[in-house]
Amino acid sequence: MTVRVDETGSIRLEGTCQIDDAELLQRLLLAHPAAAVDWRDCEHAHTALIQLILAARRTVRGPSRVPFLEKWIAPHFHALAP
Amino acid sequence: MNEFLEQFLIESRELVEQATGDLLALEESPQDHDRLDSAFRAFHTLKGAARIVEFDAMGRVLHAAEEMLVAVRAGEHPVTADLISDCLSSLDQVVQWLDAIETGGDLPTVAATTVDALLQRFEKADARLAPAPVATGWAEPLAALHPSARTAIRYAPDEGCFFRGEDPLSLLERVPGLLALDLQPTAPWPDLVAIDPFACKLVIVALSTAPPGEIASLLTTAAGQVQILALAADAFSSEAQALLQAQLLLVADREEENFTGRFAAAGNVVANVLRAQGRASHADALLRLVAAGDADGFAAALQNVLRGDDEEAGEIARAPQDVVARALRVEVERIDALVKLTGELTVVKNAVGHASRLAQGGADPTALAPLLKEQHALLDRLVSELQRSVLGIRVLPLRHVFQRFPKLVREMSASLGKPVRLLMEGEATEADKAIVEALFEPLLHVLRNALDHGIEPAESRAKAGKTAVATVLLQAVRDGEHVVVEVRDDGGGVDLDRVRRVAETRGIASADALQAMDEASLLELLFAPGFSTASQVTDISGRGVGMDAVRAAVARLGGHVSITSTAGHGTSVRFLLPFTLMMSRVMTVESGGQVFGIPFESILETVRIPRAQITQIGAAHAFVLRNQTVPLVDLAAALDLRGADEVRSDEANIVVTSFAGQLGAIEVDRFGERLDVMLKSMDGLLAGMGGVAGTTLLGDGRVLIVLDVQALLR
Repeated sequence: MTVRVDETGSIRLEGTCQIDDAELLQRLLLAHPAAAVDWRDCEHAHTALIQLILAARRTVRGPSRVPFLEKWIAPHFHALAP
Repeated sequence: MNEFLEQFLIESRELVEQATGDLLALEESPQDHDRLDSAFRAFHTLKGAARIVEFDAMGRVLHAAEEMLVAVRAGEHPVTADLISDCLSSLDQVVQWLDAIETGGDLPTVAATTVDALLQRFEKADARLAPAPVATGWAEPLAALHPSARTAIRYAPDEGCFFRGEDPLSLLERVPGLLALDLQPTAPWPDLVAIDPFACKLVIVALSTAPPGEIASLLTTAAGQVQILALAADAFSSEAQALLQAQLLLVADREEENFTGRFAAAGNVVANVLRAQGRASHADALLRLVAAGDADGFAAALQNVLRGDDEEAGEIARAPQDVVARALRVEVERIDALVKLTGELTVVKNAVGHASRLAQGGADPTALAPLLKEQHALLDRLVSELQRSVLGIRVLPLRHVFQRFPKLVREMSASLGKPVRLLMEGEATEADKAIVEALFEPLLHVLRNALDHGIEPAESRAKAGKTAVATVLLQAVRDGEHVVVEVRDDGGGVDLDRVRRVAETRGIASADALQAMDEASLLELLFAPGFSTASQVTDISGRGVGMDAVRAAVARLGGHVSITSTAGHGTSVRFLLPFTLMMSRVMTVESGGQVFGIPFESILETVRIPRAQITQIGAAHAFVLRNQTVPLVDLAAALDLRGADEVRSDEANIVVTSFAGQLGAIEVDRFGERLDVMLKSMDGLLAGMGGVAGTTLLGDGRVLIVLDVQALLR
């Protein structure tokens, strides 16, 4: 499992997160409306997942280990997060 | 080039011409089924021809265009301006390919992106019918923040793209030189619960320093969802360009001492400039050449970079070359006439042979004379007939140059926002091939002027009670030994007060002189070098090339340009051209013991005046002709043929010519006769010699040098 809720209550993305994880991520985001997303251990995040995080406007805990995600995607999360 | 390809070229060009004409006519009257069918047939045949020579890229593009026309024929798709434009641009591409075949002798290698870009236009044609317009301003806000960006990408993935296994962001991860990346939802995000996690609802805009071609090839899997835009930064800033040019000059002179040091310094400057312009890869490549000490390679590579001649960018930007039609299609009748003439000439040859044998056999010369005279008369008739026939083969209808204008005028009209209808008359009028081919540039310039300056903006037209759609007439008429080509617009005419003001500010003439000038003289000022009535330099009317360039080009063809204008009713520019370049009428003159020819068309008159009337002005001479001072050049002195102690006659024989609207005169020793000659232009070592228009042989075997009077008086 690459998307799960950890002991601190954050939604964690781990390893390679593919399109199959999108539905699960959506469910977890709905079930934990205040939870932050932690993608520090994420090695790849599918566009569908990024889109969900953007739409949910959650705080994202970084930095990502993937330079592309950190440099180009992370700023969009921070801009949107409340 | 093999015959197969040659034939393919000839046929394809004709078909392109036909298709272009049909498409333009179709745009005028979309219900014209005959034109539609004809366009369809042309595209279909072209496609077939491309398949036969195995030119796959051309076949594919034409197939896509043909499919669109099929849809139109089936009534599934209306005739829209976009559809016409798409089909015309596919024909444009075809012409470029044909040109490449003509110059290269073989099928060109075609970048897949070129074909894809065209195919996409046809694929999108259906989508374009939907009211959603394609937004264009998407790149600007982001690009303004990143001036070094060369390429803007707008990636709007389909909603269903995830199902096809696409991951848009990871595709963008592969784009090199990213400068910015913006993510926007296609619509404001709904509540999380309402989101379909498998539908992509993002639009991604990104900027990169990589060239557009490279990015296009990376994003091919997303073709149709991606717009790629080359940004202005793709070209060098003017300062950068100037710096690079300067380095190029610096390494040009290899003989100078310290070249190695200079070369290294130039290399560093170039590398720094290129890096600053976001061309690190070019900088590295050029530095490697510097390290290898390869100055030639360096100069060539830098020139390529300056031209933007790398990757596909170069291919897109390349201007269509003017390819001179090398193959001529000649009607069988004309060839038959030549064959018949050859037969008759053989008969005369045999008769002359017979006469010479008689002469050898000691025949009485008085008996022989009538025979020879008769043969000469026959030969004279046959040779002039042969001349006419051969010249006839070199003749082309003006259609060859006219046919390119409807499309160009259409584009200019669109970009200027002035609706214009181009009428063409007399396309079938014929002229020498060399003249027809050289007319394109000057005519284009005059047409541009007509659209840009001649035709008023819509408001002024409405105020003057004119139709909203302006008319420009392009007309050709044969007039004796001349061909007249005229461009006439129904615009506002030349604003003479403006001409006065501009001429004064540009220092072309003084205010007093300008006030005294009549209309014709004012119009003549339009041809003065450096004169341009446009208050602002627009894209359309060229920079720095004015009517003076047009006049010079036409003069090179032995013709003359004049302009007439009626305030409120329009302007007319008239080209008077010789029918053929090969035959010219000259007057022979004698000077310094030699015979020279002067082309008849440059002679205004010949006069004989007492030498006392010639006055010396400084080092030059002049005389007064009907109250006008005319500068005079002594031909023998100009050619250094005059002996120092020569006694001059009391009367001077003078040829008066017109030069750039002014009179000029040449003094000769004796006037000769009038001759029709076939001029042979100077070639080899003498090709660059000034003052000589060409040569021909006189009856007694002497070479007659025909003078270029304009060059002599300059």
